[in-house]
Amino acid sequence: MSISIKSKAKMTNPSGPDWNALLVKVGSHQDKAAFGALFSHFGPLLKGFLLKGGGVEPEQAEELVQETMIKVWRKAPSYAPTQAAASTWMYTIARNTRIDWLRKHAKKNHQTDELVAENLFDENEESSPFSALIQSRNASNIKEHLNSLPQEQLQVLTLMYFQGKSGQEVANELEIPLGTVKSRVRLALQKLKLKISPEGEEHGVYA
Amino acid sequence: MINNHPNTQFLTDYAAGALSIAPLISITTHLQFCDPCREAVSGLNILGGELLADCDQAELSDDLLAQTLAKLTAPMETTPETQPAVGAADAGTLCPELANQLPKYLHKFLNHHELEWRALSSTLSVAAMSVGETDYELALHRIDAGGKAPVHDHKGTELTVVLKGSFSDEDGIYHEGDFLVRQPGDVHRPSATLDQACICLSVLSAPIKLTGLKRVLNPFMRFNPS
Repeated sequence: MSISIKSKAKMTNPSGPDWNALLVKVGSHQDKAAFGALFSHFGPLLKGFLLKGGGVEPEQAEELVQETMIKVWRKAPSYAPTQAAASTWMYTIARNTRIDWLRKHAKKNHQTDELVAENLFDENEESSPFSALIQSRNASNIKEHLNSLPQEQLQVLTLMYFQGKSGQEVANELEIPLGTVKSRVRLALQKLKLKISPEGEEHGVYA
Repeated sequence: MINNHPNTQFLTDYAAGALSIAPLISITTHLQFCDPCREAVSGLNILGGELLADCDQAELSDDLLAQTLAKLTAPMETTPETQPAVGAADAGTLCPELANQLPKYLHKFLNHHELEWRALSSTLSVAAMSVGETDYELALHRIDAGGKAPVHDHKGTELTVVLKGSFSDEDGIYHEGDFLVRQPGDVHRPSATLDQACICLSVLSAPIKLTGLKRVLNPFMRFNPS
């Protein structure tokens, strides 16, 4: 399979659309034009994200894009740009939508309708005690270093985030030891200057 | 001070959306207590957002936006932060003894059905929490003040989050918010501290087996989710 993150530097146009501000407009004024702009930008990214994950047909991907964007519309009033960038916020909604979709299509677990991913994660996950400064520093560190990650580290992150695979599942797929996956993740996070768990990797394997 | 946390791989699995429901709930529960792990998860979510923003775009059908706009008829949340969690109600009506003791996050799961405590020994009780999955068992355990759980070992992995009080075993003492992973083969005998009962959230990937000579039947077998 081909795993690639766009290697060309993103055209970061400082005068380009401010996605955070558009999201705020959607929330505060139910602004459909702002929603349309967000849709036109994030829709194709979300579809690409889901297709890269595999196991989803293009029509299903569009269904999921639509479901995600409808949630974005409904939840926009609770969006706070000081707590998360639009892309981070969109990511968590898309991730949760995918989790619910996969559960709905899995036979082995009986569906408990009320239990949706949104409720399993902490709704206030983003309303953290950490300053917007730390968050934007995280984001710019990631932007700066993501494209220079070694291919093998990027591959592991890609499989995890795009396909929702656990470290163990990635190890199985790549036929490498779980320890190797864990060290690639750890090295990648270090390179991106992201804080890791206070526990580090000391205790045993769990996935 | 929380001394025991999920490891980095575990938090990454969480942020990437790779965990089953019960382990997912155990991590979110730990996050209710632990700012450093919340900060780590926050960074991992930002990474997800950047991977999304950097993704190759895939063209959408021409009419998808129009279709989506047509579906935006459902009412929006009127005020942020007040959307009730689906299925959530006042947990106090169902398990009053726990309503003020457990993180608010857990109330919505407690509320699915009334907690049914079963005594496993004179000082240890368990209440299953049904979250509709079969790979793991999610439950609350309560050890009375000063009580000891039977010695047991683990056939599968057990995750424990201390919710209230503290307990100790051969390896240390654990306080509210501590997140513990017990591996297959670990043998331990937790006991609560003397001052108060200890309540833990636990996730089991396979039934654990008692190692004491007197018990043959594994009482933990009883709480397979229905």
